[in-house]
Amino acid sequence: MMASPWLDVLDDTIRACAAHEREDLAERLRIRRTQLVEPKVRVVVLGESSQGKSQLVNGLLNAPVCAVGDDLTTTAPAVIEHAEAPVATLVTGDDGVRAIESADRTPAPIESVTAKANADANAVRAEIGLPRELLATGLALIDTPPIGAPAARHTRNALSVLPQADAALLVSDATRELSPTELDLLTRVTQLCPTVVVVLTKIDLVPGWRQVAERNRAHLARGGLPATVLPVSASLRLAAARTKDSSLNEESGFGALVRHLHRDIAGHADQLRRRSVAALTQMTVDQLLGPLRERLAEARAGDTDELTARYQAAGRRLEELQRESARWQTLLSDEVADLMADLDFDLRDRTRRILREVDEYFEVADPAKDWEVFGEWLRANLTTVAETNSNWLLDRFEWIARKIARQVAPRRPGALPEGWLGSTPLDHVGDLRMPNVERFGVGQKLFVGMRGSYSGLLMFGLATTLAGMPLINPISIGAGAAFGAKSVFEERGNRLKRRQSAGRTAAHRYVDDFFLTYGKESKDTVRMIHRELRDRCTAVAHELRSEITESAKHIKQVIDADTAERTTRARELSRGIDELAHLRKRGQALAASGAVRGLTA
Amino acid sequence: MNLPELTWSLLGRALEAYADSPQATAWLRRHLARFHDPVRLAVVGPRRSGKSTMIDAIAGERLTTPGTSSPEMTWYHVPQSRSQPELMLIDTPAVDGETEPRVVEGICMEADAVLYLMRQPHDDDLAFLRAVQDHPVARAAPVNSLAVLSRADELGGGRVDALISARQIARRHRRDAGLSGLCQDLLPVAGLVASAARTLREEEFAALGALAAQPKRELEPLLLSADRFAAAGERAELLSRFGLFGIRLATTLIRQGASGQPALAAQLLQRSGMAELRDAIAQYFTDRRDVLKARSALIGLEVVLRMEPRPAAAGLVAELERTLAGAHDFRELRLLAALRTGRARLPEELSEEAFRLVGGHGTGATERLGMQAPEPHLRQEAISVLRRWQEYAENPLLGAAERRAAAVVIRSCEALATS
Repeated sequence: MMASPWLDVLDDTIRACAAHEREDLAERLRIRRTQLVEPKVRVVVLGESSQGKSQLVNGLLNAPVCAVGDDLTTTAPAVIEHAEAPVATLVTGDDGVRAIESADRTPAPIESVTAKANADANAVRAEIGLPRELLATGLALIDTPPIGAPAARHTRNALSVLPQADAALLVSDATRELSPTELDLLTRVTQLCPTVVVVLTKIDLVPGWRQVAERNRAHLARGGLPATVLPVSASLRLAAARTKDSSLNEESGFGALVRHLHRDIAGHADQLRRRSVAALTQMTVDQLLGPLRERLAEARAGDTDELTARYQAAGRRLEELQRESARWQTLLSDEVADLMADLDFDLRDRTRRILREVDEYFEVADPAKDWEVFGEWLRANLTTVAETNSNWLLDRFEWIARKIARQVAPRRPGALPEGWLGSTPLDHVGDLRMPNVERFGVGQKLFVGMRGSYSGLLMFGLATTLAGMPLINPISIGAGAAFGAKSVFEERGNRLKRRQSAGRTAAHRYVDDFFLTYGKESKDTVRMIHRELRDRCTAVAHELRSEITESAKHIKQVIDADTAERTTRARELSRGIDELAHLRKRGQALAASGAVRGLTA
Repeated sequence: MNLPELTWSLLGRALEAYADSPQATAWLRRHLARFHDPVRLAVVGPRRSGKSTMIDAIAGERLTTPGTSSPEMTWYHVPQSRSQPELMLIDTPAVDGETEPRVVEGICMEADAVLYLMRQPHDDDLAFLRAVQDHPVARAAPVNSLAVLSRADELGGGRVDALISARQIARRHRRDAGLSGLCQDLLPVAGLVASAARTLREEEFAALGALAAQPKRELEPLLLSADRFAAAGERAELLSRFGLFGIRLATTLIRQGASGQPALAAQLLQRSGMAELRDAIAQYFTDRRDVLKARSALIGLEVVLRMEPRPAAAGLVAELERTLAGAHDFRELRLLAALRTGRARLPEELSEEAFRLVGGHGTGATERLGMQAPEPHLRQEAISVLRRWQEYAENPLLGAAERRAAAVVIRSCEALATS
């Protein structure tokens, strides 16, 4: 046997399937290849129910080998081949294609083998060997169950036979034209097996079969289906066989059908194969091409939209950060200025209130006696002022820090840690020294009393001398004592006033000192914290910026790498597609080379 | 009140409730007017299923032009005759997978009953029958359709015994769950022969007689194929009227002794399955005209209530549901079909009695009870029958289908006893 071009194409197709990781397709093609290499020509008889498929097979063989009936009869395929002596086998197994290898084969009587196969739910097929001239050239007829509801077992059985067909006879009876479902079936069949003959059966039954045949031819032409229409009547054929009437046989149309099978189908096995392989190749290549094209389109369209979007978002985020950094710096200095003013006012207000109290206090109190208590009180008050004020400062700064943090890094709540401001309440309250207070001792009192009593004694003594009394008399002595006591009293009051005023002055100076030192200290703290805060925020903003820049860079790299990879993939895919398209063209060329007369009606 | 009366009053109340809606009023009035029309029987089927032939066969005259099809529905009025009550036949456009839903809906709305023609029993295309029952009221009562194997002769390849084979096929398929839920029965009819038999002319009988008189040796080759038979011009006309099966059958019948045109016509009707179909049409459809009319009207009413819901009609919705749930007539019809097709199996004598009691031989009290007697006696009889069936229904050996059947019979007996 010379090397056939179709075998090369088929092998290339199988290789292509393997290359594109479609082992399933490759496996199917390999099975088909072994069948194609055999010299046998398989002709499948198929059609809808009650069209006379089995009767057609019987007519062709001139023997009632296939069971026929008025209702649905055939449920399992029957394969009829040439044999020297009649022989029949029933093949059973589980449902499915795999069962073919593991099937049980039991010999059966030839008259009832198909009936048995039809009755057996596990029957895979019936195999019949007959000594017939028609089959001697290697022709095998396959009778199939009707094709109907897609889910039915008989439909599945019928369709499972189809892939091994070299030629198909679609049986449709003459009582009506080809139905849309039959035309649909034909289209599907021609994809797998391009050599199809439409056999119009039961032409004995209706007078108008010629019109039906004409209309069927028109339907086929319209559908672009290259199928011959051959009208036959099995009952005329059987009657002819009974009466040995050759003209009746010719009338039955079987003569023409047998000639067609002999000449155009069995006689052109190579052409049939070429067309089968062409159809197979095209179908397989189309199956491979579909996903390939999709992937190519996908690769070309690119799936970096999301990445690009992220890249652009990063760019936008950077700009935003730039804008925000200006904004938060202004915000920070504004807030700090406010804070300073507030703190200053607060401090001033509190110290003034203390001073007012000091003044009131010294209206009555004597510093000489109460200085200790006063000193305690004043120190305690000033400490409180300092603490309150500095706490307030810290609180305000915490608050500012949070506010700024929200501005600087809104998506990072921990960017500025809480409680980072060291709370350092310094001792701003110095020692309060006692003002210099002159003591009003007993000697001084004696001296002041003597000085006062002297003038009283003298005044009353002189007056009483006029009355003839001595200068020193009880009256003058009494007046002298009274005057002396008064002087002592007055002196004591004056001294108290002087002491109080000195106390006030000392307290004022003291508070002033406190105000000055604490105010300075507080302002320094504010400035320090301000700087600290600013530095921290700048660091965070910088960190953020560099992070985003980094990620944008990364995204850019990914996009670039992806694009490069896609370009290579697209190149590979289009190369694959080109190869497959070439294969497909070779398949088409196979089908076109030497079209056989009669096969393309 | 029985179902037709209930329906009538429901329609009347609906008219009041929808007095302000001209569309609903017109629609309801049409349904009221339909109530007194004869049964509208639509003949439906895919292309070339023999619809026109079937219409001719039922009407008994050549009403249609063969080979033509109209995209619209065609109405034929068939007046009452000896063999058949008055009917309104509707010829419909071909119905298959590509038919517009509008056409199917139109048929469903216009027809009271449907004959669905099929070429083969396992035609997968039961979509139309499903569409017919695709309505809340219709689902509650799938009693208005019959499936017909309209080209039964072709199933048997035109052999003389083709109808016997077709009957077996029909028997196998009529209990099919898919089909029995959708129609009452499946009947085989050789449509062409039936229509020819209904319109058999004297000269045709003569021509057939002459054929039958030929020696078998000469006739048989002629009858081998339509081509051979039609070779002579005058026989072509005969072939187009009878078909090869009809001619084979007619010549055989004449040889077997059918003498005279009426005898041959009667035999042909019998052998074509047409007689059975006519009985079925009478039993399921024309005898139950009121029930079918009520069914159509209820469907019409349901459409109005659904399309234009309003508070005033709320009571009517409930009433409609109650009427449907209590419609014993529908159940009687379903049981009739179940008994005829063997879906419900009662012992033979009981089956016959049940068939009679649910109105298989006529819906009057005398036909149901099968006795001619004055009213009080009829009632007595009804009560005794009721007792017997009540006892029977308690038999623990009964299956679910039989128990349901017995319950329907009891209900019919109660109606007889209290009427």
